[in-house]
Amino acid sequence: MNEEKYLDERFGNENPFRVPEHYFDEFPQRIMKRIAQKKRRRKMIRWGIAAMMTGIVFSSAFVMNNFRQQNTALESENNQYIEDALDYSMINNMEIATYLTEAD
Amino acid sequence: MINEARIITQLKDESQKEAAFSTLVHEYQEVLYWQIRRLVLSHDDADDILQNTFIKAWMALDDFRAESKISTWLFRIAINESLNFLEKKKKNTDIVSNAIEGLTNQLMSDPYFDGDETQALLQKAIALLPEKQKVVFNLKYFQEMKYEDMSEMLGTSIGALKASYHHAVKKITDFFQQND
Repeated sequence: MNEEKYLDERFGNENPFRVPEHYFDEFPQRIMKRIAQKKRRRKMIRWGIAAMMTGIVFSSAFVMNNFRQQNTALESENNQYIEDALDYSMINNMEIATYLTEAD
Repeated sequence: MINEARIITQLKDESQKEAAFSTLVHEYQEVLYWQIRRLVLSHDDADDILQNTFIKAWMALDDFRAESKISTWLFRIAINESLNFLEKKKKNTDIVSNAIEGLTNQLMSDPYFDGDETQALLQKAIALLPEKQKVVFNLKYFQEMKYEDMSEMLGTSIGALKASYHHAVKKITDFFQQND
């Protein structure tokens, strides 16, 4: 190929670029350091996620427990309310039973 | 030369992974660097891209299925990273032709460029090529890579690679004939 020959004769294929001194001696250390940092960061993120999940589980359990306690309190409050209403109406259980049998 | 099969086994073993990867870095850093440097020209950019290449390789190690050689896999990452970098640079530069116009002066003042003005002009002519031709020209002309290896690395047929190289040589020759 004539054009290829022209390029070869005019420029050759020597490398005109250079690198800073010791570049290739130091590069592997730099890259392994970055990898170690990445591994550390990954581990920290994993721990962070695990801690967050544990937090979510514990706070959900706490909220559920509170909710249950509140419901029990509300239930007993309601029962008390009915008993109070019956007391206030001055009707006792005997009277209610009599009323119900007489209605038949 | 490293033993591919042994290094792959070591890379899959968590206790030997880091040491095996360090061996890979030692083995391929230079050849990958020069491949990248010829595409992006500046040392600082080549250094960034070389770091990204190895970091990406490290992150993707679990996905490496050994269907291709490790060197081919690393070359592919390096080329993709370099082309992405050039694409981003093109998007960020308002007038690309101005950037290429200033390339000769930029190279001549680069402390890590030893070539004369003619060598700088050759780099400028290469920079004007479409990306694929640029890659093929550098691999063939400077690194004397076989078309078979190039084909495996770039996933392009040998015929298409020969055509790309031929077009690139023609364009560079025309560039000099117009400028002489």
